[in-house]
Amino acid sequence: MEVIRDETFGEQLAEQVSNPESICSWEKFKLAYQAAEDATVPSFEGLVALSHLPHLELLPHQRDAAEDIIHRMQGRAILADEVGLGKTIEAGLVLKEYMIRGMVSKVLILTPASLVNQWVTELYEKFLIQAYAPRKKPAWKEANIIVTSIDMAKREPHNREILDTAYDLVIIDEAHKLKNPATKNFQFVKELQKKYCLLLTATPIQNKITDIFNLVSILKPGYLGDLSSFKKQYGKKLGNMEGNVHLKQLVNNVMIRNRREDTGLSDTKRMVKTEWIQFTEEEQQVYNQLENIKGTHPSFTYLTLAKELCSSREACYMSSKQMLEKIDANENAIHLKNLLEGIEQLPHHAKAQKMVEIIQQTDEKFIVFTEYRASQLYLQWYLQQHGISSVPFRGGFKRGKKDWMKQLFRDHAQVMIATEAAGEGINLQFCRNMINYDLPWNPMRLEQRIGRIHRFGQKQDVKIYNFAIRNTIEEHIMNMLYDKIQLFENAIGELDHILEQLDIKDLGMEVEAIMSESTSHGEAKIKLDNLTSVISNTKSQWRSSS
Amino acid sequence: MSEAVQHYQFIKTFFQEYGCPIVEDNSGRLVIQLTDEMDEALMNRPFYWHYIKKMGRQGDPMSLTLITDPSLREEKGEYIHSGAPRLRQFYQYLLENNKYTKLYETVNHSPIHAPMIPWLVVNVKVHYFGKQKKDETHSVGLNLIHGTILSPAMEKLENIEFEPTISDYTFPMTPLIKVASGYRRILRFIEEHIEAQDKTWVQETLVAREKERKLIEAFFTDKDNEAERRQLEKELEDLMGRFTPRVTIEVINGGMFYLTQETANTMISHEKTALKRT
Repeated sequence: MEVIRDETFGEQLAEQVSNPESICSWEKFKLAYQAAEDATVPSFEGLVALSHLPHLELLPHQRDAAEDIIHRMQGRAILADEVGLGKTIEAGLVLKEYMIRGMVSKVLILTPASLVNQWVTELYEKFLIQAYAPRKKPAWKEANIIVTSIDMAKREPHNREILDTAYDLVIIDEAHKLKNPATKNFQFVKELQKKYCLLLTATPIQNKITDIFNLVSILKPGYLGDLSSFKKQYGKKLGNMEGNVHLKQLVNNVMIRNRREDTGLSDTKRMVKTEWIQFTEEEQQVYNQLENIKGTHPSFTYLTLAKELCSSREACYMSSKQMLEKIDANENAIHLKNLLEGIEQLPHHAKAQKMVEIIQQTDEKFIVFTEYRASQLYLQWYLQQHGISSVPFRGGFKRGKKDWMKQLFRDHAQVMIATEAAGEGINLQFCRNMINYDLPWNPMRLEQRIGRIHRFGQKQDVKIYNFAIRNTIEEHIMNMLYDKIQLFENAIGELDHILEQLDIKDLGMEVEAIMSESTSHGEAKIKLDNLTSVISNTKSQWRSSS
Repeated sequence: MSEAVQHYQFIKTFFQEYGCPIVEDNSGRLVIQLTDEMDEALMNRPFYWHYIKKMGRQGDPMSLTLITDPSLREEKGEYIHSGAPRLRQFYQYLLENNKYTKLYETVNHSPIHAPMIPWLVVNVKVHYFGKQKKDETHSVGLNLIHGTILSPAMEKLENIEFEPTISDYTFPMTPLIKVASGYRRILRFIEEHIEAQDKTWVQETLVAREKERKLIEAFFTDKDNEAERRQLEKELEDLMGRFTPRVTIEVINGGMFYLTQETANTMISHEKTALKRT
């Protein structure tokens, strides 16, 4: 062990004490000593930040994660905890620790635009860190801690200034969006000058082993060669990674993944209930009428309209009308016209009635997810008719409006009606009831939704209601997909691996393809049965092997 | 004392010492009028000051609003917390500008011509670099007449009054030990302390380095590929930089302190009892 010492200070001091210019006062001498003492880190282990944050309640896995990142991983890591375990808190803790140790002062945090304000607030409230979210004319150079969206950062002229800056720490939230190396986002992030770097994602491997390649190559450039040689060496399947001891070790050196079951967070339970709904006779008639379209229109048209009719009259009406405007007045139009007439006669939607019935049983707050804008508007109006206050929420809202809606929901309204695009990023731990008014065809997206309320900070058991209408396409989806995979009972993490092994890219698209390519109910049923049995099969193998 | 109060007091003393008037003081929120010198040092606007000086004009220094009380965070101003870049800037400034001193204990009424005994006080920060880092501050005093060592020294001197000029009716004794060799004695004292520490961390670092080296070499195997070979070299060099166990002794500041015989005696006797106790 080498000891490096300042050899010259003695001579300098001897010389300087006779020079009144360089002599400092007693008070300043003491202050300088105090400054040095204050910035001392007295122990190899542990986090200095904890004693500076007495108000912050941390879970053991969050503390461990931050320690691991700082001590074991040298500040370059993929933080891949499951949804709702507090990745932001872990990242904030790492940031705070580095700041107190004086190792970090220039920081860039890139998040989806919808999360920018939330980051700023959380850093401020939880970590007493003042971060800056630039709006019009950003002071990239002057500000120390910047939170911004990747879309803003990569735009001219911001990108040049940002790429010119040497950051001590770069944090990227929702980093799974970087999985495609051909995108500008990916290139931009790769070019950033960064000493430490945290990538946050709940789904580090979404589809292929190459996803992990891309994230690792941001943190450890060069280690895995280029993509083509990587593919040659490791193939595509996750199984190959398990077999490669070095790759496994490397991933282990850069990735932290806490699962809900390991963290004691399962304290609040998740109760999932399927609500079976029966169309009224009139509704069923119109729904059956849709069958006529199959002969004259592409099968996905039928599929779209059927899904929409299961959601609301409005959703279905809007798209049938648009379709009608596009086609000439030939005989194909007759079915659509009949359909439109049928829809016009319909009473209130059976699902909407069920929704009101459930909400009226209690004063508690509810978040309702629908896939369609038209349904969202309709539901808001329908709730209002029953004296229930609600706010809308959409992915397309501006940042400020999102914050405002969230606040209105927390303080005033009983219900929030959100469309799919709002599934990521907004945190609503103060609400514990969720109605999945329409089920997404990709079960992974449902997990993202549930993660909005069943997450760190939720103090009560969570209730999830999944709506499905009998004798419709929804019954197929519910029975064949959701029930068989028993998705709701399990953490999504497993499904990641399973889909990975099966090389299924997007389950939703897979299902959609089956539904639209099949010529009959029977065929669709058989194909979906096959899909689910393959998944369950792989799942039991996975379980027994791990 | 709460952290907020500590920061508050620190900032207040800091600006008082640097002659910046405190315009508003609501215990927890301070408005400080900077002087030209401090504006130049802290506000990061070199072009402004360059221009002002070139034109021979009067500068217009800014004021700074700092908040230390968490409950006032919503008000306008910079919130100061542990790790806040502004606080680090103050630290940095202090450390850069207060390296050396020569001070005399204040003596109010001296009946006779009292001798003042020279002490060398050196404050250091010892950094331990293993696979992780830690550091310690040490304050060591050395009596330059007979070589007694006192540690920690600053804590002993803290409440004594010192001035840059010698009090009436007192005279400084000439050191028998030269400052430079006194400094070497202090370094030796600190090195003995380092030697006496538990060394498991050194071994742990070497083991971790070996493991990491094997991992790196497993990924950069193509020795014929020039680019890959160069990257391997770079990675290994980085690794050596990060994982080579070493200790550095960095001087925070140091100075000559002239103490009365009486003060010197009490400090040493305290030291002896302290040693006996441990």
